[in-house]
Amino acid sequence: MDITTPLADQLTSYMDLAAAQLKATATNMANIDTPGFHTVGFDFEAEMQRALSGEGASGTSAAPQLQEVDGLLARPDGNNVSMDREGLAMAEAQLKFRTGVELAKREYARVLDAIHADSK
Amino acid sequence: MNLFGLLGVSGSALTAERVRAEVTASNMANAETTRTADGKLFQRQHVIFQSAGPASNDVTTGGMLGGSFASTLQSQLSAAAWNGASPAATADEGGVEIAGIVTDQGQGLRRYDPGHPDADKDGYVTYPDIDPLTEMVDLMGATRAYGLNVSAVQATKSMIGASLDILK
Repeated sequence: MDITTPLADQLTSYMDLAAAQLKATATNMANIDTPGFHTVGFDFEAEMQRALSGEGASGTSAAPQLQEVDGLLARPDGNNVSMDREGLAMAEAQLKFRTGVELAKREYARVLDAIHADSK
Repeated sequence: MNLFGLLGVSGSALTAERVRAEVTASNMANAETTRTADGKLFQRQHVIFQSAGPASNDVTTGGMLGGSFASTLQSQLSAAAWNGASPAATADEGGVEIAGIVTDQGQGLRRYDPGHPDADKDGYVTYPDIDPLTEMVDLMGATRAYGLNVSAVQATKSMIGASLDILK
């Protein structure tokens, strides 16, 4: 009998991906003044699908492949990091992570409820 | 995925931007300097940034936050024949580092000041070609970029704090 539920494992992947998204954003922010640097990111939904389909199960999903983001306006020094895009991406990653945390808390609370069911 | 490694990425940017602000401040402070340690005219300095590749743990350019702590701990643990899983400690991948500080080779500005001890035979003194406007804009850029990365650190901190909430 497993004490962790499948949903808890999936939430782990979800939070891992949110952290990876924040890392990509932090990379972009760190390189905002690096000449020739290109904004990096990954497709959150596609990576989540990959994690759910069992590739890299049990929470050890491989780090998502970072790709250069298209369609951004490059500055004369070849750098195309947009402060607005990164600010929004950071807020999004934080909210995703907090969502994952809340859901994980509920999930573990449910397991605890089941453990203490007889003492109620 | 290691949230603490993320602090290293932002930390490297904080270090780099601070060096940039320091160099700019030094340029402004030396705007009238005609004598340096090697006896020559002060020349404007630029900081060159480059993105840090994987496994760079150069202490001078940051990365000591996530990088060397994690890897040092890891090597300590493996030295003690610890048999746990070995999480990949590739920190500050994706950060920024300073490729170098280059000195401008420009000519300098000539100003007529015959009483100055460094004046040439025509009475002109060569001062560094430093434009306060350029330096101030550079300083503002460094300050803003620093603030941007501080907010990234705050975001990471709140995520680490949130993940501790799972335990409660």
